Amino acid sequence: MMNYKIFIWMLIVPFVINGQNKISGNHSTQNLTCSTCHSCDIPTKENPCIKVCPRESMIRIDQPVTDAPKIFVINKIRETDIYSPVKFSHLAHAEMSGLAGGCRTCHHYNPPGNVIGCSDCHESSRKRTDISKPDLKGAYHQQCMNCHRAWSGSTDCTVCHELKGKEKSQTSVVSNNKKRIHPEIKTPDKISFAAKTKQGKLVTFYHNEHINLFSLECSDCHSNESCIKCHSTNKTASTKTISEKIKHKKCSSCHNTESNCSSCHSNSEAGGFNHKSVTGFDLSKFHSKLDCARCHTSKSGFKGLNNECKTCHGTWTLENFKHKSTGLVLDETHSELDCENCHKELSYSKPVCEDCHDDKSYPNNLPGKRAK
Amino acid sequence: MANQSRRNFLKTSALIGAGLTGVSSKPAKAAPNNILDENRMGVLVDTTVCIGCRKCEWACKTAHNLSAQSIESYNDRSVFKNMRRPDDKTLTVVNEYAAKGDDQFPVDVKVQCMHCDKPACVSACIVGAFSKEKNGSVIWNGDRCIGCRYCMVACPFQVPAFEYGKAIQPEVRKCDFCFDRTKDGKLPACVEICPMEVLTYGRREELIDLAHQKISLYPDRYVNNVYGEHEVGGTSWLYLAGRDFHELQFPKLGTNPAPGVSEAIQHGIFAYFVPPIALYALFGGVMWLNKNRKQDEHKEANHE
Ligand code: SF4
Ligand code: SF4
Ligand code: SF4
Repeated sequence: MMNYKIFIWMLIVPFVINGQNKISGNHSTQNLTCSTCHSCDIPTKENPCIKVCPRESMIRIDQPVTDAPKIFVINKIRETDIYSPVKFSHLAHAEMSGLAGGCRTCHHYNPPGNVIGCSDCHESSRKRTDISKPDLKGAYHQQCMNCHRAWSGSTDCTVCHELKGKEKSQTSVVSNNKKRIHPEIKTPDKISFAAKTKQGKLVTFYHNEHINLFSLECSDCHSNESCIKCHSTNKTASTKTISEKIKHKKCSSCHNTESNCSSCHSNSEAGGFNHKSVTGFDLSKFHSKLDCARCHTSKSGFKGLNNECKTCHGTWTLENFKHKSTGLVLDETHSELDCENCHKELSYSKPVCEDCHDDKSYPNNLPGKRAK
Repeated sequence: MANQSRRNFLKTSALIGAGLTGVSSKPAKAAPNNILDENRMGVLVDTTVCIGCRKCEWACKTAHNLSAQSIESYNDRSVFKNMRRPDDKTLTVVNEYAAKGDDQFPVDVKVQCMHCDKPACVSACIVGAFSKEKNGSVIWNGDRCIGCRYCMVACPFQVPAFEYGKAIQPEVRKCDFCFDRTKDGKLPACVEICPMEVLTYGRREELIDLAHQKISLYPDRYVNNVYGEHEVGGTSWLYLAGRDFHELQFPKLGTNPAPGVSEAIQHGIFAYFVPPIALYALFGGVMWLNKNRKQDEHKEANHE
């Protein structure tokens, strides 16, 4: 009996371990250990032993930051009583984070779904058995100080804390917080950057296209600059010259900034993005409503595609192609023909009539009727 | 074993020496503790998180009845202009090293006794005033100390400090890992107050695992080295850093326990065949004279 059990385990264990190694996409890119989310050592599909999330709070991680709760009184840490609880202007901070990573700026590792509060993962007692992540006090300060320190250069406790016995009244803090709600951050349409080069001294950056057309998130370019970008107390630091390399870094994840200067730099203001003039492929007829990613599927940056139809659509046959979608319903005779009989080019553009008809030509003569 | 018997011998000779010359030395009763418990505790200091708020300095002073200024006064960052060392009035200090790149923060490093696994101070102390306790702390017992300051010479981190400013019963002072607090189940004062939890208190073994896990999760953040894991045979306080430890003034030490150094001093004494009794008689005499002189000075100072 015993031996039999051991045998079964020997069969199972390699699979379990193998399953462990294949951590799917999102997991492997985050700096996570298994125990951050799973309560058991070997989570399986049947029993993932995911740690509980607070189901009662209905704010989801992907909701706009403006939906965030206004004020929290942070009073879960009582070990030291030097300072009184902080009245944290949560909404103001959420709005400020809009330019960085949204809610996830602070609610890191939050799984899709409801927002999980800090204390659901970080223990409120410093004396604890699981020391693999900071306790609540450490977690709060590590999140706060990252920005506060960069922004003001100060580590003074009294920026946020009031010494016990020297508190202002609760109401004045609340009304103060109301005033401090961050104004909406307006996105510009286009920005012209002056480069220091002789040739191509102007870079016209279409901010709106990068958001609307190329679907970039604010945080794709603006991460980690949430406060100091605008609020640096150290003015010399914010206006000091940044090296060319750092300036190009933001663009280079999509653009080739090493050798292809002229795609961004020109001597006069450049027009917006035009797929036809830049790539030679006219989107206007059938492809204008598509997201870029429908065709440009490569995850590692934007790649040019072959402009033959079959690159995306595969080979067209009478069965899988409804000619009506081109705006022309073929008549009975023509609907029996193979595509290639009329369309000689791989782009399936203008048909050739002369092979069969001496006296007919497109578009003067049509092989069917225009669809309405 | 051989170690132990030599130590006993040394102490005995010290006693006899003192007895013979009529100089009263404080009695050394038992062999010094040098326990290396597998569950000994430690602290992992993550210097990449420290903001240099110096609350740890304040808490340490307060916990040890050393006169501390108001907590707000510790916001003063001008102290970082000079590099400081722990001394008899400040058992731990935080030093700041300038930021390297534009978008980087300065690096703040808390300094205190490392609580070595093979403490040189314990080995060097001829009367067994130092001991390595079960929970990892290296502590000092004032009843035994004869003020010879061997420990100060032996310590590879230059930690033990002598109360030079104090005339009557000057003591050797150093971070005691808050032995009196941990005994009662409390955290060390600095660990408890640190807002950032730069200081993680836990079993040394577990801390080493944690340190390596952090390095592998954030290879860009840390240099691949846990200071104190192997240095001088291992220390209870361990450090993580984002730059080479040498740049942060951590001494470059081998993995051999430093006691080898101090034992060599003792061996040297035997090598030249100076009878230990005579040696201690001399030491004792010098110290006795010193003590008397200082007491006189003190009295004079009081009269003025
Ligand atoms: S209290 Fe913590 S954060 Fe502050 S200086 Fe000390 S170790 Fe650094
Ligand atoms: S650091 Fe120095 S004083 Fe502290 S235990 Fe090691 S040798 Fe002793
Ligand atoms: S452990 Fe205790 S004695 Fe040592 S530095 Fe921290 S507070 Fe001071």
